[in-house]
Amino acid sequence: MAARFRQRYGAGPLHLLAVLASFAIAAYALGRALELTSNPDRIVIWLGGSIIAHDLVLLPLYATLGALLAGALLAGGRSSRVRIAALNHVRVPALASGLLLLVWYPLVAGPADRGFMRLTGLSKDVYLERWLLLSAALFAASAAIFLLRLPRLRRAAAR
Amino acid sequence: MRLPEIGPFRAGFWHSPLRGPWLASVLSAALLPLVAVCALTGFASHWAYDTDLGRNAVWGGAAPGNGFDLYGLDWPADPAWLYAVTQGLHVITGVAAIPILLAKLWTVIPKLFENPPVLSPAHALERLSLVLLVGGTLFVFSTGVVNIQLWYPFGFSFVPAHYYGAIVMLAALALHVGLKLPVMRAAFRQRGVTAPLREGLDATEPEPGLPGVVTSAPHRPAAPTLTRRALLGGVGAASAGLAVMTTGQVAGGPLADLALLAPRGRGRGNGPNDFPVNKTFTAVGIPREKVGPGWRLLLHTPDERRAELTREDLLALPQVTAELPIACVEGWSTTQTWTGVRLSELARLAGVAGASQVEARSMQPRGVLRKATLNRGQLAHPDAMLALRVNGADLSLDHGYPARIIVPALPGVHCTKWVGKLVFS
Repeated sequence: MAARFRQRYGAGPLHLLAVLASFAIAAYALGRALELTSNPDRIVIWLGGSIIAHDLVLLPLYATLGALLAGALLAGGRSSRVRIAALNHVRVPALASGLLLLVWYPLVAGPADRGFMRLTGLSKDVYLERWLLLSAALFAASAAIFLLRLPRLRRAAAR
Repeated sequence: MRLPEIGPFRAGFWHSPLRGPWLASVLSAALLPLVAVCALTGFASHWAYDTDLGRNAVWGGAAPGNGFDLYGLDWPADPAWLYAVTQGLHVITGVAAIPILLAKLWTVIPKLFENPPVLSPAHALERLSLVLLVGGTLFVFSTGVVNIQLWYPFGFSFVPAHYYGAIVMLAALALHVGLKLPVMRAAFRQRGVTAPLREGLDATEPEPGLPGVVTSAPHRPAAPTLTRRALLGGVGAASAGLAVMTTGQVAGGPLADLALLAPRGRGRGNGPNDFPVNKTFTAVGIPREKVGPGWRLLLHTPDERRAELTREDLLALPQVTAELPIACVEGWSTTQTWTGVRLSELARLAGVAGASQVEARSMQPRGVLRKATLNRGQLAHPDAMLALRVNGADLSLDHGYPARIIVPALPGVHCTKWVGKLVFS
């Protein structure tokens, strides 16, 4: 009996019970969220949209940019230690800068503008400038560290 | 049934040699405690709103079923820093989790394009649950992150959506942890918990994968360009950096200077009233004359008016001064020295010295949070006051002039500003 269940279902009965319990709680919570808010369709859009935005837009975007960069730097088997290090010293600050933009996008890129100023009494124009300066500092620091590492990388490559 | 071998559905499409069950497990082990603290402090915030009192419930009244009512306990007024710490942690852990979450999703992305897509009913249900897990998680994190920046593009009510979205996420997460714990254990047994962190670039090999488990280990791995140590170090540094930036809005001091991109990491000057404000006077639309010399504080019981006081009357009463933090639900807080009349003193003046609750009503014309009911412990606390002055100066209009509520450990949005009426019961 148990063996037949396992064969048909693909896991033990406990698996099914756990899945159903999880679905029941999630369905309740989702139902409450849809019931309590003025625009339930917007919740569904935001939920589905966030998956699409991450899995099918953001991730492919940065993965493609990374692959193009790697292709440009390491093409034709020129993947020496120096070139690999150069790749990392570009993509690490680029990812950090991109992450800051992603997290603080409303402040940096402006969509929070009117509400933010009205509510807090603070101006918001400093954030774009700060993000640019932080990004510049990240790239500059990465370049400086790369230059410091370069002699050692060359020696290692020559050996 | 297999899907055609095209694009990401093709075996070998994903080729990073770093992906695999060990990497996913390490990231999960880092992510879980952050999510746990974030969730617990989130529920603590719901508790701190004392939704069973008066009209405190943001949704649906004080009826049962409005979130977890299982606390049954009043939110305490001691220690004074309680809400600043719980809500600060909520936002700090939430923001700090983002790089780890993104790295984790990057590690397991090949599983989204698993081919064949369905192996058994159990596998299909698990994948459906992952839709809830990933969708719920992205939903909760994205709504939270834009909310602390005062941007509300989603067009639904934030509080119930964020709250119940979190429950969707946690329900799916509990299942995920239960199902994947054996995989994590196997991955750590196979590779060692920290051994892969000691590998240099030459020794960075693809993970072998786990027998009988569909994993994200690559089919045809490319040559490594990064060690696992560097990858995880970078993710950790990003997480720590975001945490420091966000902590600056809670801790103040030298850390505040590092809150470069955090929304409330900025002072407005050095005057007594130049600390951050959640909503300015102009934003709420109270007519000027209402806060002029004609202002009166009305003390009520539910049935009748008991007293009417001018600001001079209030200043002539015994004053209390206390250094207390005021902490916003958005995660920032600031500690100032407040002076005003004890709420217990005002209860006595209203002739209800033993009152168990007080509802403070603002003169704000709109907004669900223009009134707040305080519990017995908050009302009786010797530092709970109707504040008239801050740092030795009169309150500014932005900070609630003529009078505002200041109570230890009370969420900032319940520290009602521009108070017009207090109803004791």
